Amino acid sequence: MIRTGILGAILAVTPVWAAPEDTVFRDRIEPILKANCTACHSGPQAQAGLSVANLADLLKGGKRGPAISPGRSSQSLLVQFVKGEKNPRMPVGGKPLQDGLVAALASAIDSMKPIKQAVAANDHANWVFSAPVAPKVPDPNQAAWVRNPIDAFVLTKLEAKGFTPAPFASKRALLRRIYFDLIGLPPTEEESRSFLDDETPDAYEKLVDKLLADRHYGERWARHWLDLVRFAESDGFAIDGERPTAWRYRDYVIRAFNDDKSYDIFVQEQLAGDEMQRRPAVRGGQIENEGLLALGFLRMGPFERDANFDAQLRLDWLNEMTGTTTQVFLGLTVGCARCHDHKYDPIPQKDFYRMQAFFAATRIDERPMPFLEAEGRLAMRQTLRRLEDELETAGERLKGIEKDLRAKLAASKQTDDKKAEANNLQRVLADKDNRTLTAEERTLHQGAAERVQKITLEMARFQPIAYSVNEVAPPAVLEIEPTHVLAGGERSAKMAAVEPGFPQRITGNSEAAKIPFAGRYRSGRRQALAEWLVSPANPLTARVMVNRIWQHHFGEGLVRTPSDFGMNGERPSHPELLDWLATQFVEKKWSVKAMHRLMLTSNTYRQSTRHPDAKTIGESDPDNRLLSRMNWLRIESEVLRDSILALSGGLNHEAGGPGMFFRVKDEVAQGFQMFKWYPSDEKAQLRRSIYAFQRRSLSMPLMEVFDAANMSESCSRRSVTTVAPQALTLLNGELTALESKRFAARVVELAGADPGRQIVKAFSLALLREPSSGELQAARALYEGRSPEGALTRLSTVLFNLNEFLYLE
Amino acid sequence: MNPEWNRRHFLYRSLVGAGGLALMDLLNSDLRAAASTNPLARKAPHHAAKAKSCIFLTMLGGVAQMDTFDPKPALEKFDNTVLDWSNEKRTDQPDLYAKPRLIFRSPWKFSRYGKCGMDVSELFPNLATCVDEMTFVKTITGENGNHPAATFLMNTGLVLPGRPSVGAWVTYGLGTLNQNLPGFVVLPDYRALPFSGSQQWGAGFLPASYQGTMMQWKGDPINDLLPSGGLSRKDMQDQMSLLREYNHAYLDGNFTNPDLQGRIDAYELAFRMQSEVPGVLNVAGEDETTRKMYGIDDEVTRSFGTRCLMARQLVEKGTRFVQLYTPSQSWDSHTDILKGHAKNAKEVDLPIAGLIKDLRRRNLLDSTLIVWMGEFGRTPDHPADLRDKAGRDHNTKAMTMFFAGGGAKPGVTVGATDELGWKAVDKVFRMRDVHATILHLMGLNDMRLMHYHAGRNMRLTDTGGEVIRDAVA
Repeated sequence: MIRTGILGAILAVTPVWAAPEDTVFRDRIEPILKANCTACHSGPQAQAGLSVANLADLLKGGKRGPAISPGRSSQSLLVQFVKGEKNPRMPVGGKPLQDGLVAALASAIDSMKPIKQAVAANDHANWVFSAPVAPKVPDPNQAAWVRNPIDAFVLTKLEAKGFTPAPFASKRALLRRIYFDLIGLPPTEEESRSFLDDETPDAYEKLVDKLLADRHYGERWARHWLDLVRFAESDGFAIDGERPTAWRYRDYVIRAFNDDKSYDIFVQEQLAGDEMQRRPAVRGGQIENEGLLALGFLRMGPFERDANFDAQLRLDWLNEMTGTTTQVFLGLTVGCARCHDHKYDPIPQKDFYRMQAFFAATRIDERPMPFLEAEGRLAMRQTLRRLEDELETAGERLKGIEKDLRAKLAASKQTDDKKAEANNLQRVLADKDNRTLTAEERTLHQGAAERVQKITLEMARFQPIAYSVNEVAPPAVLEIEPTHVLAGGERSAKMAAVEPGFPQRITGNSEAAKIPFAGRYRSGRRQALAEWLVSPANPLTARVMVNRIWQHHFGEGLVRTPSDFGMNGERPSHPELLDWLATQFVEKKWSVKAMHRLMLTSNTYRQSTRHPDAKTIGESDPDNRLLSRMNWLRIESEVLRDSILALSGGLNHEAGGPGMFFRVKDEVAQGFQMFKWYPSDEKAQLRRSIYAFQRRSLSMPLMEVFDAANMSESCSRRSVTTVAPQALTLLNGELTALESKRFAARVVELAGADPGRQIVKAFSLALLREPSSGELQAARALYEGRSPEGALTRLSTVLFNLNEFLYLE
Repeated sequence: MNPEWNRRHFLYRSLVGAGGLALMDLLNSDLRAAASTNPLARKAPHHAAKAKSCIFLTMLGGVAQMDTFDPKPALEKFDNTVLDWSNEKRTDQPDLYAKPRLIFRSPWKFSRYGKCGMDVSELFPNLATCVDEMTFVKTITGENGNHPAATFLMNTGLVLPGRPSVGAWVTYGLGTLNQNLPGFVVLPDYRALPFSGSQQWGAGFLPASYQGTMMQWKGDPINDLLPSGGLSRKDMQDQMSLLREYNHAYLDGNFTNPDLQGRIDAYELAFRMQSEVPGVLNVAGEDETTRKMYGIDDEVTRSFGTRCLMARQLVEKGTRFVQLYTPSQSWDSHTDILKGHAKNAKEVDLPIAGLIKDLRRRNLLDSTLIVWMGEFGRTPDHPADLRDKAGRDHNTKAMTMFFAGGGAKPGVTVGATDELGWKAVDKVFRMRDVHATILHLMGLNDMRLMHYHAGRNMRLTDTGGEVIRDAVA
């Protein structure tokens, strides 16, 4: 029997194999495969998803389709690959198969009886590249379980397999799930109680609405977007210079989510915020043009100025921008076509450069942009003024100190040229072996100089500047810089010039895009791209985004390769559901919150992570693609840190503005040569993780070990690894030590002196439940020989490290 | 001596001793259960190979080949004359070559050493005694003459940040030999960390399990190895056993989440690391002779020497890949190379020779591949206005590197540069060829070592490198 996996759809007919074919396989094919192919193409990590272990696996095939086509060796991928007709020639990295062996393989395949296959290799491409049409919502048998159409789609698939959905999650499990999912923080005691005690039938729906309206929602969901757009506040590379106002893009994204900015506007602002004709409609919020800030999207990649490499640098930048744009909005790896035609998707190399041409008139620019009301215009101005005053004072002080030191230097030398000696101050300071100045004098000077530097750095963050882009278009220049196809992606290998255009597989033609908004000093190209992305003609934008939203709610997308919907990406588990959601998204005016509401209020989302038949179901659906239960989710690094701070009471809820600088170990800080790292004050360091300054070459240890996005390229899906350094950091790190203590003190304050009540309180705060009698007893043992605070501190550390704390049931 | 480490060592020995055998039993059974899911579990190589571990000695800043291992008598002849740059229009540093430049003879004398008669300059008197164990390749070329880009190329095969480093790839391909220690350890010099910090040893798109773990040679070797704020032994023990108890209870009925067991295992491993790591990295426990070999007690060689010694201790215990760095840009002698290179060579010469000899006498050299290189070589000339403080500039057209041990062919030199050492001319290799060779010597085929990411199978060598056959025994 052939197992129907992700690729099951390719084989419309499931053949039942008679013995002769098996014999052919065993005698004539298997020996060759074993000697040449099995090393890479077997087991759970089989390359390209292709296992050659048995005939069924060959027929099932891998990512590229079935490996053999019985009776037709010339059409069999296996033969095409070993012959080198397809790239890469197999076996990869080994010697090509001898002709005799290839011939033997071919004749064995030809001797097999052909099977009737409704092979639809193009089905996926046909689906991906055509606009979604709202499918009919199916009618599953167990209609009572269906709360909204999502459930109908999911249940129908389950029923087809003879599966039933899991029971509903407990109210407590649902409470934790929804809080961490939507706002990334645990509920307070009052919040828990009000939900758990609410017996009204729509208690849960009310909670969803309440959390969607919570401003912490934007702080949580903006993080997903920032991963995707490789957000960072420094250049990367050697100097890793600061981008002092890049935080305004971060706050723009937070506002967009909180205000439920229509996704179509959100997309357009980030690509063409400076060119948009339509003024953005902001739901609920004040109408302000944030376009210049949104354009920060185009500049978030690593980038470092280097006069020696200007032309190459610009090309790298354009390439990066083209690749990221297509990945993020279209879910296509168009970047693969930079050097050659796409190996897997119908994207010719020319299409990459046609897409790149939309950015041909774009250049980097720091554009003046007054602070918005939403950014705290007044506070920004006040802070800047305060910093200016502080700088003046600090500057005076430094000058005074330097004056004294110069005088000393001048006096120290019995030369005629006292003035020259006095001017040598910087040189003397730099030379650590020079004994003319005492250690105290050096420290004094360093302190004063650092103060000036620190204030200067800080002032840059409060400038009304947008980290943005601009246009170089006629009449500023004679013509827009032409875009050429580059052979092998090499700058010097210019081939045909191309006009801006959309991927031809989608539009069905290779005509140049119409650029309706071109004008003086503006090419209108980015806007043309942006409008096309959100136009009804585009099959991907809505699908890709609803899939991303789904992914963050359910742990995996309906397409599990969220930035690769192409042939090499995974096939959707529920294509009809995805299309239905995509059409709903457009119908609901691209409201992200409407999509949340739809998904979160489905019964599918409300299932338990456990299923009475989990073992049986697991055999045919090990990855829970059919959603017969809810997936387990581990809270991400930011949520982990924020939650510990929230529980301990240490969390500083201050929203927006320049990022905070966390404390770095001295020995690490000493190693930075290119920048100075001044930690923020204690209170600021307790802000939510999204407000931590994002330096590419330095992240918080907790973020680093718990799989935070690495900021160098678009991250559509964080990995979830389990490694020992996580245990070390979470058990022994500074955060746990400080916050365990703070949490213990809070518990004592809330629960009083009785150890039993303290333990119950600690459990109910951290885990939203009471301890079992066994747990209570075990925790009580901690009180022997310790003060209550001491015992509770140990208990808190344990609670913060629990599996139950890190995983959402 | 480091009394601090000893105290801790003692503390953790007794900690393990106390909970004792029962704990170890428990661990072993857990480990067996988790073996198939452990990303660092030992994996079979693609082909049989001698090298089990690799020590990568990174000479940041770029070493001048014509002053170290690639003597160029012609430099004497042309010293103080102008090199004709008219044919070098495609240089990647146009500004530099736009000014008048002068050829500069090497300030150091070369002599021949060993049975193989290898040329070594006065800069490396100690390494000179090891040449019969070493394999020189004089023709490595780069793509970009900027430090960070070139360092990324050396570490990851691409001039941009974000890709997995060699150490991550090797650990991904082979797992590691000791589950109580990190598989890929990085030992930077805290005086100046490499550009872009941890991105140089990151796992890129590989799972985070394969990223390098930075260790320090002063203070705690691993971040957060010990509790911040110093807990008593009893505190740590009580915490651990309570955590274990709660986590085990939580497993009940939750088998749909295999990661729960994975996390329990990770804590047990962390717990073992706390006891194992201070013991492994116990420089104080080494005898006088060994300390002398590495120059531990000399201020100049202490930093690199201690780290070389740690590297030996780590590979001895089964760490797969150890990478050492000199301070960022330390070899970058644009001016006053006389002073700069002399200082840098002095810091590493004795320790590296000590490492080679120590591995040899412990029978570990054959199973340990040593790789020595910088991000690029240097030019035979310098801007004319800097004659009195002459240095050398970046050169991506030729660099000398060496291998030692681990199945490399001892006592040979591969490739040749032109008369001035400016360009590789005979048997020219790229960085990806070095990578292919490292992988090959470790038992991995660079074309087969792949990871699916962003729409395609990614490799350290992208479309493939060429193994430097002449360097392989």
